Amino acid sequence: MTLPQKDKFIVPIGPQHPALKEPGHFEFSVDGETVTSASARLGYVHRGIEKGVEGRNWTQSMYTLERICGICSHSHATAFVLGVEQLARLEVPPRAQVIRSLVGELERIHSHLLWLGVAAHEGGFDTLFMYSWRDRETVMDLLEGLCGNRVNYSANIIGGVKIDVDSEQEKAIMKGIAFLEERTKYYMKVITTDETFLGRTRNVGIMTYEQAYSLGSVGPTARASGVAQDVRIDSPYAGYKYFPVNMILGSGGDLQARFVVRINDLFESYRLIREMVSNLPSGDIAVRAPRRIPAGETISRYEAPRGELFYFIKSNGGETPERVKVRTPSICNWSSVLVVAPGHKLADIPMLLSGIDPCFSCNDRMITIQKEGKTQTVSWNSIREYGIAYYRK
Amino acid sequence: MDAQESLNETGVLDTNDIFQAAESLLLPTAGLFTYVEANRLDVQIHKEKLLAAVKAIIEAKWGHLSAITGLDYPPHQEDGKSIEGMIEALYHFCNKAVIVTLRIRIPYNDPTIPSICSIVPVATLYERELMEMFGVEISGTPDPSRLLLPDDWPDGVYPLRKSFTGLPANKPMEQT
Repeated sequence: MTLPQKDKFIVPIGPQHPALKEPGHFEFSVDGETVTSASARLGYVHRGIEKGVEGRNWTQSMYTLERICGICSHSHATAFVLGVEQLARLEVPPRAQVIRSLVGELERIHSHLLWLGVAAHEGGFDTLFMYSWRDRETVMDLLEGLCGNRVNYSANIIGGVKIDVDSEQEKAIMKGIAFLEERTKYYMKVITTDETFLGRTRNVGIMTYEQAYSLGSVGPTARASGVAQDVRIDSPYAGYKYFPVNMILGSGGDLQARFVVRINDLFESYRLIREMVSNLPSGDIAVRAPRRIPAGETISRYEAPRGELFYFIKSNGGETPERVKVRTPSICNWSSVLVVAPGHKLADIPMLLSGIDPCFSCNDRMITIQKEGKTQTVSWNSIREYGIAYYRK
Repeated sequence: MDAQESLNETGVLDTNDIFQAAESLLLPTAGLFTYVEANRLDVQIHKEKLLAAVKAIIEAKWGHLSAITGLDYPPHQEDGKSIEGMIEALYHFCNKAVIVTLRIRIPYNDPTIPSICSIVPVATLYERELMEMFGVEISGTPDPSRLLLPDDWPDGVYPLRKSFTGLPANKPMEQT
């Protein structure tokens, strides 16, 4: 998708760039202000997690995989445990499955509100950014109340979940959701009526149904172009077997449609959470899982906030996975930006990039810890010993 | 068959129809069909037939390419005979709940697979990953440059092969 050009002027963006919060390198050829071609180089946060889990046992692998991404950590852990349970032929209690989906929907709300803020910020609308991030604290508090963590909730264990929902938490969730629903109505009004904002999103970055389909776009990015694809509906897993999801489709395929689809996604999540909390099945929250997982191969798909997350898991009957392949949704959506970008003004590019809600860590699946400016590499054993000592206290 | 039954109950999908459509599309090109799980069909395929098979799936709009997985089978001894190292590439296509996997096995000494980018443009990223991680040569892929590994990564070192335990300069990967 290159437009005719005479002298090429290339604007390099990243990997370190004040406007992008995560590392990625892009080269945009421009003719004046108009972008004529685009290319990307990823991998700056590649950490080798797929290889890393081959040397860890199944439980350790779950925690490692959960750390692929800070935003959709629960998606990764759940996709992995669902696959492992399938291999081990474990019957996971309904209550556990619904709690998984409950946390998954809370995660979707946090992710979409985070995205709304980032996208608004890229569009120069910092008030909306601050509002949405303030409101996002509501769902972060709910997640913390439920799981004990704001990020990397660690709600799963192989065979179920390790958190339960009591009546106090149910009340807190209902209250938080009611507040967020009111706020989301307001955001819907802002993004569909504010002239300045519409000027940045309407008819920008249009991706047709055919393009979205053939480029293999997933999640809200694809649904905004009318591609009816949602793993929660196509192949219901965990709690969605008991609580069916309605397909949220957009039309137009422009940035505006991607905003509307994600906001409607939020309303659907609120509805699901209400139903799950009011009709939570009773019973156990976990069954005992074996240390060794029977040999075999399985595939687990999960609708992460950004779209279809794909896990291929192979066991050779041992205590560690033989192979885990992760295909994250962000990687599918990259090509949509690179194809759609030519012909747009350079100033539209940040909005286009944020329009797919890219997650670099997800792409790169990348072990180094940065603490007080120093880089420190911590071995698995020392972290484990630290953890054990910490909880003994 | 639990998964399939529950899908029929909800009335959303008819898994069998989707399976049958896939079988008829792949029959001219494929070798062995194996139903591995309630929603999964594995198809062994020869690499010369890959393009035709992918074309059949995509042109019929049967489903989308969800991922390409690489698997490594390192050389080993079996009954006193040495078995050559193999790489297996798995092309996963999804339609609703159904996943059809095209499986291609190639030996270490001739690890070439034709590129499917002319049919599925998005495959470029997956093919580049397969090339740098497993040392598979993809003939005709539009961009053979590195995708994820650093620029100073040594040539000929493929981290997802089982023989890789760490770069010489670093300590080997920790086994726990």
